[in-house]
Amino acid sequence: MKIVKLKKENLFSFLEAISEEAELWAPVQKYENKHSFQLIKDFSQIDLKYTRTILPPKKLFLPPTFNMFLATEQGYEEDFSHATKKILFGVHPCDIHGLLILDRFFQHVFDDPYYSKARQNTLILGLSCWPDENCMCKSTNTHIIEEGYDLFFSELENDYLVWIGSSQGDDCIRIKPGFFDEDITDEDIQIYIKWQNERDKAFQVDINFVAMPDLMELKYENPIWEKLGDACLACGSCSNVCPTCNCYNVLDKPLLNKDTSEIGRCWDACTLESYSEVAGGENFREKRAQRLKLWYTHKLQAYISKYGKPACVGCGRCASTCPVDINVQTVAKALEGKDMDTFWNRLSKEVTK
Amino acid sequence: MKKDKLKIGIYELTGCAGCALLILDCENELVDIFQAADIQSFLMAKSDNIDGELDIALVEGSVSTEKDIEELMDIRKRAEIVVAIGLCSMVGGIQGRFCDEKEWKENFKKVYGDIEMTHTKPIQSKPIDAYIKVDYYLPGCPIGKEQFLNFFTRMLRGNPPERYPQPVCVECKYNENDCLLKNGILCLGPLTSGGCGAICINHNLPCVGCWGPVEGGNWTSEYYLLKEKGFDDELIKNKMANFSGTKIAEVSEQLIK
Ligand code: SF4
Ligand code: SF4
Ligand code: SF4
Ligand code: SF4
Ligand code: SF4
Repeated sequence: MKIVKLKKENLFSFLEAISEEAELWAPVQKYENKHSFQLIKDFSQIDLKYTRTILPPKKLFLPPTFNMFLATEQGYEEDFSHATKKILFGVHPCDIHGLLILDRFFQHVFDDPYYSKARQNTLILGLSCWPDENCMCKSTNTHIIEEGYDLFFSELENDYLVWIGSSQGDDCIRIKPGFFDEDITDEDIQIYIKWQNERDKAFQVDINFVAMPDLMELKYENPIWEKLGDACLACGSCSNVCPTCNCYNVLDKPLLNKDTSEIGRCWDACTLESYSEVAGGENFREKRAQRLKLWYTHKLQAYISKYGKPACVGCGRCASTCPVDINVQTVAKALEGKDMDTFWNRLSKEVTK
Repeated sequence: MKKDKLKIGIYELTGCAGCALLILDCENELVDIFQAADIQSFLMAKSDNIDGELDIALVEGSVSTEKDIEELMDIRKRAEIVVAIGLCSMVGGIQGRFCDEKEWKENFKKVYGDIEMTHTKPIQSKPIDAYIKVDYYLPGCPIGKEQFLNFFTRMLRGNPPERYPQPVCVECKYNENDCLLKNGILCLGPLTSGGCGAICINHNLPCVGCWGPVEGGNWTSEYYLLKEKGFDDELIKNKMANFSGTKIAEVSEQLIK
């Protein structure tokens, strides 16, 4: 691994130079204070100060809906049109960890060609960030990255420190060698360390994830699940916005007056009622409380037990999305026995009144 | 293996005719549709209609006159499969929201006065499954083009149609929209059947529920949430009732008075 330095004013020229043969995707403001990774045509659209995008980077590797193949009488024709060559710039550490977790799901036991092809065709250019009230990556220990990026840009005062994480990242640097300075001064290092310390102090949420598998086990029959279930709108948004949720459904789209069908794929979510429905109409997780238990078992227990870290990367999207305040923070606190002013708590008081 | 073409009839009871119009509006596919199936009856599209045995009958509109009942009974007798298309047929439509007999009578009087109807006797609007067994449902007010073509093609191949078990929020998130409800806007997405592509929210307008109630919607929670966000009780109930037809009666039981 090598670290070099880039003057801030050269960032966009550099991105322009390397994106000649690939699509450049970067964070853009979509609504007031809400961002989205978008295809960049105009560099002034890129918002370097964004906190989180509504949808995580997974949308570029497995789009919410896409066509997998065309089924014909002879066989099938695969469709990899989503897996274009891309450079994804501005990925924060939590989302890089999110992709590493998806890699485990989609590549370690069976290889999902749709995911892998898009993953191979995309360069990941990370960017440092500053936490807001929903960021939890320090608690999940995903505020630091060691792998999963081609280049990583840490913002100093006038420069970026640029970590080179792969040979492709190194190739990019070589396109504009004049932009990069190998001489990192003691002063730069001091600025970086100071920034890191201040950033670590800026987190407003602290969750003890290590305790969660036991708490999930101990509180599996606790009435809090009913409270959460009473409030949950079963909208599936928490899964759709979560960078580590990976469930999907397969849909057939028969083509009119042809003997062919498009076989498509779309995101699914265990919080939806239809998710656990099986042939014959039986549903083995009919109640919202049961479905939320599955979601939180996945985020707070199962993965920790297996891999020693949570399947939550602390991005805060569930918190900024769920209309009824059900999210990793409030659920973890409820498991710890804390009483909070959340909608789901207020509703439960209202309903039992 | 060339089979006989499926015999299909498209019928309109009480409704705005929007669903039938939508089928006619599949302009690029119309020739294919008429080639693939034997469309026996489709009043909006042709004049040589036959009322014989059918493989599939598509029924738009709610039952709101005695004549509607007769027609519907006759359709059921003739058709192997009956499909309710659109919200009127599925839940009774906007005209079905006054589920209280007394309230319906008062409203009827307000609109028509004391006149005697001679042509047929008007009755309170109900979904078609209040009278007959319905095999499949296509939600929407009106139904969607893609949804219809997908349904039609599946039927041609002998496959059951796609169900719409997910709320509008799913497609809303697919499109990376900011959540209006979270921002304090009265959006009925969580209570409404998806399939429309969340088209309203894509244009920054809240969902008013036009695809009808989704299975398993949590009305109580959304009701309290909206109350907490400062919406008037009457307004919330009206919005919720708008596209719920006679289903609002079941749902109202969930809402604590
Ligand atoms: S927890 Fe929240 S975001 Fe998730 S399904 Fe329930 S209401 Fe929707
Ligand atoms: S939490 Fe639910 S939707 Fe997400 S990956 Fe796990 S099972 Fe799938
Ligand atoms: S559970 Fe919530 S905070 Fe954790 S990764 Fe998923 S969306 Fe982000
Ligand atoms: S804007 Fe409406 S449809 Fe979209 S996620 Fe929010 S509640 Fe659901
Ligand atoms: S009102 Fe709701 S269901 Fe109807 S088209 Fe708009 S978003 Fe879809």
